[in-house]
Amino acid sequence: MEWWRHFVAAVLPYFSLAFFVAGLLYRVLYWSRAPKHLHWELFPYPHTLGEQLKEMLTEVFTLKSLFLHNRRAWLPSLTMHWGIYLLVVWPFLVLAGLPLAAPAGKAGGVLALAGSLLLLCYRLARSEVRRLSAPVEYLNLLFIFALALSGLQSGFLGDAGAVRSYLLGLARFTPEQPPAGYLAPVLLAELFLIYVPLSRMAHFAAKFFTYHKVKWGELHR
Amino acid sequence: MSAAVKKVFDDYRVLSDEALQPEKPRVKEFLAAMKKSLQRDNWTFWLPYVLSLEACMKCGTCGEVCPVYQASGRKEIYHPVYRADMLRKIYKRYFTWPGRLFPALVGAEDLTEEKLNALAENVYRCTVCRRCAVACPMAVDNGVIVREARKILDAIGIAPEELKENGTAKQLQAGNAPGINTAAFLDMVEFLEEEIREARGYEVKIPVDKEGAEYLLMHNAGDYLAFAETVMGAAEIMHAAGADWTLNSPQTGINDAVNYGVFYSDAEFARIIKAQVETVKRLGARVLVVGECGHAFEAFKYLILRLIPEKERPFEIKSILELIDQWIKEGRLKLDPQKNPEPVTFHDSCKLGRLGGMYEEPRRILKAACADFREMSPNREMNLCCGGGSGFAIMEKGNFLEFHMETYGKLKAEQLKATGASIVACACSNCKAQFREIIRYHKLPMRYAGVSELVANALVR
Ligand code: SF4
Ligand code: SF4
Repeated sequence: MEWWRHFVAAVLPYFSLAFFVAGLLYRVLYWSRAPKHLHWELFPYPHTLGEQLKEMLTEVFTLKSLFLHNRRAWLPSLTMHWGIYLLVVWPFLVLAGLPLAAPAGKAGGVLALAGSLLLLCYRLARSEVRRLSAPVEYLNLLFIFALALSGLQSGFLGDAGAVRSYLLGLARFTPEQPPAGYLAPVLLAELFLIYVPLSRMAHFAAKFFTYHKVKWGELHR
Repeated sequence: MSAAVKKVFDDYRVLSDEALQPEKPRVKEFLAAMKKSLQRDNWTFWLPYVLSLEACMKCGTCGEVCPVYQASGRKEIYHPVYRADMLRKIYKRYFTWPGRLFPALVGAEDLTEEKLNALAENVYRCTVCRRCAVACPMAVDNGVIVREARKILDAIGIAPEELKENGTAKQLQAGNAPGINTAAFLDMVEFLEEEIREARGYEVKIPVDKEGAEYLLMHNAGDYLAFAETVMGAAEIMHAAGADWTLNSPQTGINDAVNYGVFYSDAEFARIIKAQVETVKRLGARVLVVGECGHAFEAFKYLILRLIPEKERPFEIKSILELIDQWIKEGRLKLDPQKNPEPVTFHDSCKLGRLGGMYEEPRRILKAACADFREMSPNREMNLCCGGGSGFAIMEKGNFLEFHMETYGKLKAEQLKATGASIVACACSNCKAQFREIIRYHKLPMRYAGVSELVANALVR
């Protein structure tokens, strides 16, 4: 089984990261090569870069659209998104060796776990949303749930020291084996990186275009 | 609905049997047309269309704000996503690899003739009001999906007669969609001059086909027949402002601001707007003034920009609202709001507001022209579509009027009642036609009026 451990700990990290970057890049390029469409903006919309940033950041960090128009889904979704945001910055905090890293990782895991669970409940309990959902919608949530669960349960998210030396090894292209119990969360994270560009979870990239290129238009009135 | 018309979706039928041909095999043709729609050559709405097909998270937020879905008592078949998914499932099944490999997982489905029939009807249960696109966290636009589906259907010969044979085709051939010929048009104008004389006691000359006038005013030609008060009001305003202006008759080309292509076909849209531009050039006006018509404003102000190069349209385009607003500001029009003492509210037409950004002009105008102006709630970008949009106002086949009265109309009636106003003002022909029916159907103690009509009534001479 040594080759398998080696594959997960030392090969797949590079492949999945490369796949993630290339996959997203492909999608973004595909959309950015779009022909200029007829004006189809929705009024009113922010005009200056500052106004646009403010609106985008408000949407990203408060999920304002859900708060205003679909309050039931807001808290579950906000919980999960904050969990994901924390999990995204967590490896950087770990690499930087900040004492904040371990609590941030654990908090991210807990929020992502709770949020994905609450969203699963929302999807199953609201009959109209359940009927609109394809199996893949549940799969996406289950994936996040499983990732957070294994990260927490194995202690991976709280073990900044071990994770740091593992990540540094990868960064120096001299990968080490992480403790055996961490292989599961590492593998899930890798699969997640591969899955995102293939799935609708690339929506954070699509959102840039739906807002900047369509909803906000380019006219200045 | 007559018993002869087959049920293909719900209790209504917008498409006649001749248009839909529900028994004929059309799936192959549809898929071929859809394939084309996904190519970049279909550039007009390619990005919003493709993004909207791909990015929906199935969160259900759009349903919370969709007037049809809400008013229907949350009937599943009227949910914005249910409708968009009718096309999205086909997209996934035939045009994406996850859908080809794992159809059940991603919700991809084969297209059948029955599903095609249902889809064709359901894309005429949404007015493309785009309220859902304002609320969607992903800015997914169910409206653009509906419009693209209508385009695909039109490409295989399926479109409502009201929009095609009696709409764009007739407009191109007769100069206006109602089919008014020049002699009849001139008679009407003369009649309107008499009406003004009788009502106001002074002469207002309505110039027609005057070459080189500064302003060419193009109304929705339906207004001459159905909303003459708006046409007269606009004439009085032009007169009071001392403008050098003219209307045009069908003998100069197109004398109808409408463009039903906006609702279902880019090809038809382009044909009409090009013919309109040629007409304006022929008459040599400096400014084309778009009368009270929402989609015509959207077409001339925004959709035209990337379709017809600037140098090929050597004139300015203004809504009559922009002009009135400007003239009030300049003191060129003097108004006495006491002449309109009744409580007045304003309906933000989707095409003027959400799609046109025309929020403040009508409010400034109405506050200057009416003593008691009241907002309805919600308003501006969250205003509810009245249900006349995307051609519904002229679609009354079978019991379809009942559909837009019982859904959009029901919510709008409640909203109107809550204002306590006795006049609802708006600046769109489709909305007026819908309001005429809402007021009758829901027995509201109020009337509708064009903004121009109220302004004319407040003029101080
Ligand atoms: S609000 Fe937007 S993302 Fe959510 S279900 Fe509706 S279209 Fe999809
Ligand atoms: S465009 Fe308007 S009518 Fe159509 S689905 Fe969206 S909210 Fe409903």
